Amino acid sequence: MNRRDFKNIINQSIITAVAMVGIVALIGLFIFIIRETIPALTEVGAEIFTSKYWYPTYDPPEYGMLAMIVGSFILTGFASIIVIPIGYIIAFFLYDYATNAEQKIIKSAIDLLSGVPTVIIGTFLFIYVSPILMNFGAWSSGNLLLAAIGLSILSLPYAASLMQESLSAIDISLKESALALGASRFTAGFRIVSKAALSGILNSIILTINRIIGETIVVLMVAGGAAIIPKSIWDPVRPLTAVIASEMGEVPIGSVHYSALFVAGLILLTISFILTMISRRVTRSWKN
Amino acid sequence: MKKVLLTLVLVGIALFSFAETLVIKGSNTIFPVAQLWIEELKDMYPDLSITLEGAGSSTGIAALFNGTTHIANSSRWLKESELEQMSEERKYFIPVVLGYDGIAVIVNPNLGIDEISIEELAKIYTGEITRWNQLNTNLPNQRIVVYSRNSASGTYETFVEKVLEGKRMAPTVQMLESTQAEIQSVAKNQYAIAYTGVGYVTNDVKVLSVDGVQPTKLNILNSVYPISRPLYMFVDATNGYPETGPVKQYLTFGLSKRGQELVEQAGYVAAYGF
Repeated sequence: MNRRDFKNIINQSIITAVAMVGIVALIGLFIFIIRETIPALTEVGAEIFTSKYWYPTYDPPEYGMLAMIVGSFILTGFASIIVIPIGYIIAFFLYDYATNAEQKIIKSAIDLLSGVPTVIIGTFLFIYVSPILMNFGAWSSGNLLLAAIGLSILSLPYAASLMQESLSAIDISLKESALALGASRFTAGFRIVSKAALSGILNSIILTINRIIGETIVVLMVAGGAAIIPKSIWDPVRPLTAVIASEMGEVPIGSVHYSALFVAGLILLTISFILTMISRRVTRSWKN
Repeated sequence: MKKVLLTLVLVGIALFSFAETLVIKGSNTIFPVAQLWIEELKDMYPDLSITLEGAGSSTGIAALFNGTTHIANSSRWLKESELEQMSEERKYFIPVVLGYDGIAVIVNPNLGIDEISIEELAKIYTGEITRWNQLNTNLPNQRIVVYSRNSASGTYETFVEKVLEGKRMAPTVQMLESTQAEIQSVAKNQYAIAYTGVGYVTNDVKVLSVDGVQPTKLNILNSVYPISRPLYMFVDATNGYPETGPVKQYLTFGLSKRGQELVEQAGYVAAYGF
């Protein structure tokens, strides 16, 4: 074995080891969470998913997460409906219409926005935006709409830059040939390039949803925190992430309550896992 | 040689601190007070090492029975079963009152209401009453926006016990993470109601008298105010009151002028020196 082989082996093993850390951490995380959920799943059973009464500290306790699961979904859906079209419009503008200077300004604004700590956004919404919404008829200072606005602000940079990347990834010749055939600028961008970039755009949408559903601090601060199934945009909600953040700190370790919070974590992890899988699928189907 | 020396020093420090470790367990309500005390105590006695765990009053008292803690913080008095266990095991725990927990009921200053009864309060929090004019016809026909601290807070525990008498809070009640958020929410929303430790109340909100009693310091100290309770530290005094050592140092500091100031700083009412 010469020196070169030796070096190669060392480098390879270092890289493998580092890469394995991630995989092991992920598997370990899953095992850890699943193990912690066992007491709640065996002791409480299906009631966790079917009851909407969350009274973990009462006697007798009740551990129903239905309202919070539904709240999570409604909030995520609502925020996605706001952010995805806006994100696409920004991406489309950046790709097709913006001059270099405009591109630079918008891009740096997006980068800056993505760097703002979430707790600052939460505070800002709570102090400045919430009173405005109350003039429009909100009865509760924290509500579904405010939380959706917060989540949109947070995920907009993410959605816009991902979509812009997938548009830019399409070969410029496609756009040029469409223009040469007499398509308008809008048609070329919207009907030709966007269609070609569809898998990338879908992927961006899924990743954005994934990000929205896991966001915690903003929903903890401005979603209102009542574990009910919201019937209007002015109703408060309490998503799963908010419950975990709010109660994990002082729950007795090892209790059923503690374990039930891990069930909430497992639900979120599963959703995120499924979304990631779908996103992989979408990307792969395009490449074939 | 250097390594051996270092190990020796470390072992020495470990042994020394082991001998001096003071263990405190119990009520989450008292946790912030104990934390403030410990911070200052460490400056006074740098050799003293203290561990603090907030696991609930019952856990604290159970730990006192099996000798795994020196001091049990408790936001409630001893239960009958615990008193029996004490006499069975021929143990003697003494209570030391460290302060009082008084909960103020707050509303927006623009709401035309000055007092409320425990019964009405319970009805609002269990969801039986949802509009202000159900409480009093002079009040606006508006939905009551009900705020509570999250269920991990000691204030929440006291409120559920003293006002709801164990009944469930309605799911429509909005759980907030901090007292600050409660005060902000009530200050901004004309139809809101919330409760908070008396130490935190600001001028942005109006404090209601409950069953005709204002939550003044004296009313809380004498438990005339209905939503108040004493906070205890239980100490094992089977072999007499601890006259020296870390337990004594801790208790003495807690009841000192500075210690009582810190009780107020944590949002409670000081038991001594008012």
